[in-house]
Amino acid sequence: MEANPKTRMLILDDEPIVCKRLKPAFEKLGYAVEVFVDSTEAMARIREKDFDIVITDLKMKGIDGLQFVDAVKAKSPETEVIVITGFATMETAKDSFKLGIFDFVAKPFKISDIRVVVEKAEQKRKASGRPLLSDRAQQSARGLDG
Amino acid sequence: MEAREPIRRSPQSVDAHGVKTRKAKRLESGPGRCGGERSGTLRLTRSEWGKTRGPGRGQRQTMKKLDRVKRYFFGGWRGKSESSFLVLFERFQDILKKNNEILEIMADMSDKLGGAYVFDRQYILDVCARLDDLLYKLVYDLNVLSEQKYIALYPAFEQVRQQIQADLEGRKAAAEVSYVLSYDALSRHHLSDVGSKNANIAELRNVLNYTAPDGFAVTTRAFDDFMDQLGLADRLRALSNRSGTSPKAVAAMYEALRQDILNAEIPSSLERDVRTAIGRLRGSHRRQPLFFAVRSSATEEDTAHSFAGQYDSFLNVPEGEVLSCYKKVLASAYAPRAFRYRQEKGFQEHEIAMAVACQLMVEPKCSGVLYTMDPVFPERDLMVVNATWGLAVPVVEGSSPVDTYLLTRDPPYTVHRMDIAEKQRMVVADGAGGLKTVDVPASDRSTACLPQAVLQELARITHSIERYYKRPQDIEWACDSLDRVVILQTRPLQIRPNSAGDTCTLPEIAKSNPVLLSQKGSVVQRGIAYGKVFAIERDEDLDNVPSGAIVVAKNTSPRLSKLARIGHAILTDVGSATGHMATVAREFRIPTIVNMQTATAVLKTGDEVTVDATENTVYRGIIKDLCYYERTQEAVFEESYEYRLLHRILLRISPLNLVDPHDESFSPARCRTLHDIVRFVHEKSVDELMQVSAKYGKRMRAALKPLQIEVPLGLHVLDIGNGIAQDADGRGPVTADAVTSLPLKAFLTGLVDSGLWATEPISIDLKSMMASVTRTFSTAMAGPEHVGRNLVVAGGNYMNLNLRLGYHFNIIDAYIGDAINDNYVYFRFTGGVTDIVRRSRRAKFIAEILKRHDFRTEIRGDLVIGRLKKLVPEAMRYKLALLGALVSYTRQLDVLMHNDGHIHKCIFEFNQHWPAMEA
Repeated sequence: MEANPKTRMLILDDEPIVCKRLKPAFEKLGYAVEVFVDSTEAMARIREKDFDIVITDLKMKGIDGLQFVDAVKAKSPETEVIVITGFATMETAKDSFKLGIFDFVAKPFKISDIRVVVEKAEQKRKASGRPLLSDRAQQSARGLDG
Repeated sequence: MEAREPIRRSPQSVDAHGVKTRKAKRLESGPGRCGGERSGTLRLTRSEWGKTRGPGRGQRQTMKKLDRVKRYFFGGWRGKSESSFLVLFERFQDILKKNNEILEIMADMSDKLGGAYVFDRQYILDVCARLDDLLYKLVYDLNVLSEQKYIALYPAFEQVRQQIQADLEGRKAAAEVSYVLSYDALSRHHLSDVGSKNANIAELRNVLNYTAPDGFAVTTRAFDDFMDQLGLADRLRALSNRSGTSPKAVAAMYEALRQDILNAEIPSSLERDVRTAIGRLRGSHRRQPLFFAVRSSATEEDTAHSFAGQYDSFLNVPEGEVLSCYKKVLASAYAPRAFRYRQEKGFQEHEIAMAVACQLMVEPKCSGVLYTMDPVFPERDLMVVNATWGLAVPVVEGSSPVDTYLLTRDPPYTVHRMDIAEKQRMVVADGAGGLKTVDVPASDRSTACLPQAVLQELARITHSIERYYKRPQDIEWACDSLDRVVILQTRPLQIRPNSAGDTCTLPEIAKSNPVLLSQKGSVVQRGIAYGKVFAIERDEDLDNVPSGAIVVAKNTSPRLSKLARIGHAILTDVGSATGHMATVAREFRIPTIVNMQTATAVLKTGDEVTVDATENTVYRGIIKDLCYYERTQEAVFEESYEYRLLHRILLRISPLNLVDPHDESFSPARCRTLHDIVRFVHEKSVDELMQVSAKYGKRMRAALKPLQIEVPLGLHVLDIGNGIAQDADGRGPVTADAVTSLPLKAFLTGLVDSGLWATEPISIDLKSMMASVTRTFSTAMAGPEHVGRNLVVAGGNYMNLNLRLGYHFNIIDAYIGDAINDNYVYFRFTGGVTDIVRRSRRAKFIAEILKRHDFRTEIRGDLVIGRLKKLVPEAMRYKLALLGALVSYTRQLDVLMHNDGHIHKCIFEFNQHWPAMEA
């Protein structure tokens, strides 16, 4: 097996503190993390690139979280989406299951809690037998992808 | 949605006159004020209406309703029957419920400061809104219960919530901060008032206890008022409105502003405050005239952006010239280089808030600058020291050759390399003020300024400052004539990792370093530390902990707190993330994990380990990369706005100032925090319920009667139906036999029949006994009618006990019936006569006993909460009896808790008397 390619993760939350805390935590675990506080910018980014894991808030200025989830799933159905949301938007969060999200985590949460959810999402991907997007990207870069 | 908004009530004046009008208004608009959520209190009154006159019929009836409301409040329940008492009792129970809910929210908020949680501003807004709502209802409920006796609580509450509101909105509560603050009164939490330079130096003095100059801060409020006088806001607005303003015009505007600052009169109150501060320093340092270093301390300075050298500082300023230098420092904020720097860094001009540091001048033998990490070659893992004779000016300005030392970053901080320069001239303080340059005596020119011992002391101090701030530091230091190290200034040193951190991902680390403990316990304070394990087995070990140790212990004893200055990390097998030790660990930011279960079993004294108190992981071996990774992170949690905001708000919420209900300071006017209000309401609601039932109980057939039992508790029982046998319902005291309330009967069995009340104290030391005696004495003096009177409300299946014994409080609320699902016990215990250390020990003892008996137990400092539910009646009765025995046994226990060993001794002794129930 070659050196493990990094799992690609996108985090979107309009409160900068959430991004500031999550980015180093997941980088330390070996993920390649991109963070966005502006949903429009995040939307532009997912059009350019597929991610393995997307973590997003629901209630944001500009493009709403549900719209964003919808766009992520439409572009790349294999991406696992984890919704993080405050107590007040819990009901909406439950609705987001209809869009095929992997799970949601209520804010405030412990870093260890969201880490467990992310790991489960990764396991689900592996169990489904489909390689992670990042693996495929690497393969295609090496010209092995068919 | 309501929870999404900040506290929304419009600010209202809180003066004495305002109170009356507001009260009247509140009554006119109904108790719930605006209906909706807040009408929880209104609902009860409405149901009252329902009983008497049916549902309301439109708006016309509003006036009549209001009359009824008023009559309800002021006519009271006096003329009413039993049902009114039940309404009243329901209100009392509501108060207890809210009281508990509030205490739990408060504990939850403190938990969030440890760093284990990701929380955002919305969380802070949400919890504040919840607290606001609960507190308002609590105050309202008490006033209904007491017929508006505590109207003064409204303005007290209003004041605290306005302060919280101001914090949430990021503005200062009016006139809250004075113009001048002495260093003795400062900490990092004053950052926005005094700027980082002041806050950091005060923190070094007051928290870490290092030598740093005494002095005072001229606050940002002084700056704001001074600049208002010059119309700063208008000038900035005019500038930003003129689009396409030429750089030349901007520069001209700033130059005019600079001149205006220099020519302006200092406001007389500011002048007076500065003179007072100087006078105070003259008194405490017994010398005059004093000379000062007057330095800029802007709020945005010395943070992620250093602003190094952007603003002016003045050294050796005679006391008479401090005010004119103050103006010069302010003016330097508008010099071309300063505003260009701000422009480049993306600062808004209105963000500038310039506090000023006025520090007593230190006349050093030598001085210089130390970087705790080499910014050019961080991977070399060395500290860099520059030093020169006299003042550090040549080092800071780079104007002449100085000594350079490279030291290792770990004890004993050996010298890796040393370059001694030829130092011909030095800068010293001039006797008349200002600086002068003089020749260095020929014999000293090629000599190293710093002796080895001072160098190592300097390294030790600065390394601990780095650990504290979790960032490499850029430190200006001096060495005085007695070879003492004085820290003049400390600020974060910006170092970005050279690699993208690839070498430091956890999976990589785990490959080369075995993981000893993983994902266990709760993080009290996050952070990374490495060193040798020192296991605490006995109390005596506490005195032998080597500096830099990774301290491992069985329990979170408050006694471990003192290790926060010595150890580099604390790990425990069991313990609470919210106890006293946790508070101290957070204060000193020592990486701490509790409840790891097997820390003492796995880690042995002498083992070299690395603790990652963010991931709850302990690795074998020293992993410097991990530490390096942490220190070069962009964001430090404790520096985030959200952390500071939550901390600031908690200062309005958590501290408890009202302790003694018999002291005259126990009044609404003295309630300074939400905790004070909660405490006051609880005390008074118990009082009220007792008074009401004592006075009018007979008419309500809910009389308050003394309970005749063999323990001197002064227990009075209030029967709300089937609590006491009918034939005992005459005059005089009730005996235990007459009690028919299931839970109360069971409780009394344990309280009296266990015989534990009579248990002789194991030993007692004279000092605590005297403390206890004096307090009891003053208690007896203060309110004869209340002393020794405790209340239990009893129904056939229900009891609610409110116990005050000396200085501790006990609430037990229980229901025992045939429907198993309805059965519950709630137990709460707090307070005590001795210091927090002993009280915490007693709390720990109680918690241990409760846990042994299957209670779901939480312990927070000296507050213990135990819950249990859904057991068969027989088991419920056994638990209630246990609580009775526990109350008997613990009444004076805190006095005895000299050391942690006593906890186990007491647990053993109690268990002998009261074995756990057979399954």
